[in-house]
Amino acid sequence: MEDLVWTTLIRALAFGTPILLAGLGEIFAERSGVVNLGVEGMMALGALAAFAVAQSTGLPLLGLAAAVLAGAVAAALFAVAAVSLRANQYVAGLALTMLGLGLAGLLGKPFEGAPLAHTLSETSLMALALLLALALWFVLRHTYWGLVLRSAGENPETVDAMGINVFSVRYAAVVFGGAMAGLAGAFLSLAYRPSWADGITSGLGWIAVALAIFASWHPLRAVVAALFFGALYHLSYRLQAQVTPELLKAMPYLFVVLVLSLSALGRGPSGAPEALGTPYERGERR
Amino acid sequence: MRKVFLTVLVVLLGVFGWAQGDKLKACWIYVGPVGDYGWSHAHDQGRIAAAKALPWLETQYVESVPEAQAEAYMDRLVKQGCQVIFATSFGYMDSVLAAAKKHPNVIFAHATGFKRAPNVATYMADFYQLYYLNGLMAGALTKSNKVGYVGAFPIPELKRHISAFALGVRAVNPDAKVLVRWIYEWYNPAAAKEATEALIADGADVFAFTEDSPTVIQVAAEKGLPSFSHYSPMQRFAPDYVVSGQLVHWDKIYIDFLSKVYAGVYTPKNLQNVDYWWLLPQGAVELGGKFGEPINPKFIPVLKAKVVDHPVFGKISVYDLVMKELALMKDDELAFDPFQGPVKDRHGKLRVPAGLRMTKQQLESMEWAAPGVAGPWPNEPK
Repeated sequence: MEDLVWTTLIRALAFGTPILLAGLGEIFAERSGVVNLGVEGMMALGALAAFAVAQSTGLPLLGLAAAVLAGAVAAALFAVAAVSLRANQYVAGLALTMLGLGLAGLLGKPFEGAPLAHTLSETSLMALALLLALALWFVLRHTYWGLVLRSAGENPETVDAMGINVFSVRYAAVVFGGAMAGLAGAFLSLAYRPSWADGITSGLGWIAVALAIFASWHPLRAVVAALFFGALYHLSYRLQAQVTPELLKAMPYLFVVLVLSLSALGRGPSGAPEALGTPYERGERR
Repeated sequence: MRKVFLTVLVVLLGVFGWAQGDKLKACWIYVGPVGDYGWSHAHDQGRIAAAKALPWLETQYVESVPEAQAEAYMDRLVKQGCQVIFATSFGYMDSVLAAAKKHPNVIFAHATGFKRAPNVATYMADFYQLYYLNGLMAGALTKSNKVGYVGAFPIPELKRHISAFALGVRAVNPDAKVLVRWIYEWYNPAAAKEATEALIADGADVFAFTEDSPTVIQVAAEKGLPSFSHYSPMQRFAPDYVVSGQLVHWDKIYIDFLSKVYAGVYTPKNLQNVDYWWLLPQGAVELGGKFGEPINPKFIPVLKAKVVDHPVFGKISVYDLVMKELALMKDDELAFDPFQGPVKDRHGKLRVPAGLRMTKQQLESMEWAAPGVAGPWPNEPK
């Protein structure tokens, strides 16, 4: 029993790391008022960039940097459409997911099945994710820039009135979110399962989007949520003989629906940014 | 001038037409990407080998074709001049039959299926003999008496393979168990990884799997545990930890089939009973995690050191046993078979009476589990 708890915790941490990283990024983007459903696509691009660079240079840390860059560039592309051009954020995000997955699959052909000589350790990235969660919570909660970011998501008009450019704030948040999704991808292709293959993200990006909501956009609650989702995932294999695996795997989504329903009833933590999903336009009244 | 031009055109057309007539165009439809290192990759290797071996063969392929769209893709391939179409996923079955009806002069061949028509043949290269041999080695190598198996879907094909594997494990190690976990996907590295971690946590120390990525091998190798390669030559992902495995040679079937089409033996009218079920004797499958190497030399000493008391061969090392039974099965399908009766299922019910073997049909629809298999087993007959 003790062994079951211990191994489940370890595995929950490992599996929780990519969804925590990407989820933290999504929390930042959404806190600034932009829903980016392109997490899955950015994660795939990050995973490929990390693997391609690490494999050809032999330097996994350079791969990590490449992943961050790839995710950020993809997110910037999304931001042009969703922030500057005020396109529908949901549609633009879905497009980014499809584009990212397709592009990564296409460009990744030469790397399929290639071995990786130098990998990163799961543990160090797990620790990094936990530290990042703590740091991001601090930034969001206790710094001026955190306040500005949150305001951009709650009441962009006020931010604008303060003389701060809402677009720049949102760009920064979205690009940062992309960088985090790229990092999550790098964890997959350099540490979790060092290799590249089309479809390596297998839906983790969507769990990260769900995580942002489940954690009610709070970086520290995101850690708990990631552990919880990770534990459910591990247990769906561990307890396969006792519990239907489909049920355990559907849990993350079930819980998201539950949290959303509870907050709609006004009984649970919600914290959804007021202006979430609404493109900002100067001088327009809501 | 115009006359000259016309003459040239006619001559060119003539030459082109003649060249066309002498060629045979075969096309492949894959369910996954050719780079997935699993099922579709292996079929594509078969296509490439066939194109190399047959100078008159022209090939084309489409990858990642969803099962619901297969028919439209087949129509397109026919329009592009494909005379033979290989549909390489079980789920294409009904689309193949529908397309075959629409295009009666085109030859279709469907991998793993069981529905045929005058212009639809079926084919399969099966691994169950190799799984048994892998099982012998796994049974000899496990110290915890727990062998882990990560399976994709609980369908007859996997049940047959896992049962053959478990029979092998038990043949050399009557106390061992095969712990099975399903991931309900053909390709999902994250799921395969967590399933392997779960098996490790439950004490398994040797691994085999049916999934299209080398994940299980990599995860086991990180912990220093041996595993068996599946389908593609995956030994290179962990050269020190992969013991053996199963390899496929689809090219053997493709070359045989296409040569017979080219020679006029197979026509769009006589395929109703053409069903390839190719095993070791036909060279369609090979033992190993690397072509040309049935057992990783690193594991030969320990397999030679493990001696068991075999009912037929007496005292024999597991290494010799594997090689002997491999030679027997290669030589003649009738010499030895993993499902040689009497075989009971895990609840003690007699499934194959003494002196009998399972028919191909029984193997293809097998749902019961062999003794030693532990874990969920959907649709298990009572």
